[in-house]
Amino acid sequence: MMDVAAAVLVVAGAALAALSGIGQVRFADLFTRMHIATKPATLGLLLVAAGASLRIDSAGAATLLFLTVVLQFATGPVSAHLVGRAAHRHGDWDRRNAAVDQLAEVDEL
Amino acid sequence: MIGLAIALSLIAVGGAGFLYRLLVGPSLADRVVSLDGLLTLIVTAVLAWGAFTRTGTYLTLGVVVALVAFLGTSAFARFVEGRRR
Repeated sequence: MMDVAAAVLVVAGAALAALSGIGQVRFADLFTRMHIATKPATLGLLLVAAGASLRIDSAGAATLLFLTVVLQFATGPVSAHLVGRAAHRHGDWDRRNAAVDQLAEVDEL
Repeated sequence: MIGLAIALSLIAVGGAGFLYRLLVGPSLADRVVSLDGLLTLIVTAVLAWGAFTRTGTYLTLGVVVALVAFLGTSAFARFVEGRRR
């Protein structure tokens, strides 16, 4: 029973990883690609780590899995924000795709 | 073991998408984002392998790769910003 639940969790996480990769090919501009690269991949990592913690029963493994998930959840938004802000400031994006640009008066271009 | 094959194939499909964006991506920021996502998928694959084989030996690799991915991406972000137009 536990093994079935773990397998379902791991395969669901892997499906989210596949989804984020497909989005990289399908999505049109930098900020939508950044959206599809960070969120489903991080959730997929959480699901796979939950499945792994059901399968591997030792306290050390649970600690490492917890540390991996916390690290990914803490650093993923920060690094996406850094790259997005840098790209906006540098002008590495297509202005025609944006409905509103709230950073226009903050970043001098 | 069929579950491991399914999970790793799905992660490989995702990795192919990220690799395509890494090679093709029009701007440098696209490449940095896809490299970050590719490293997340590598961590996911390591954890999936550990889950199906019941081995906790390589779980340290997940922590290390997640940390290196963050440091590399933030350094690249500074580089994207400071580059001359």
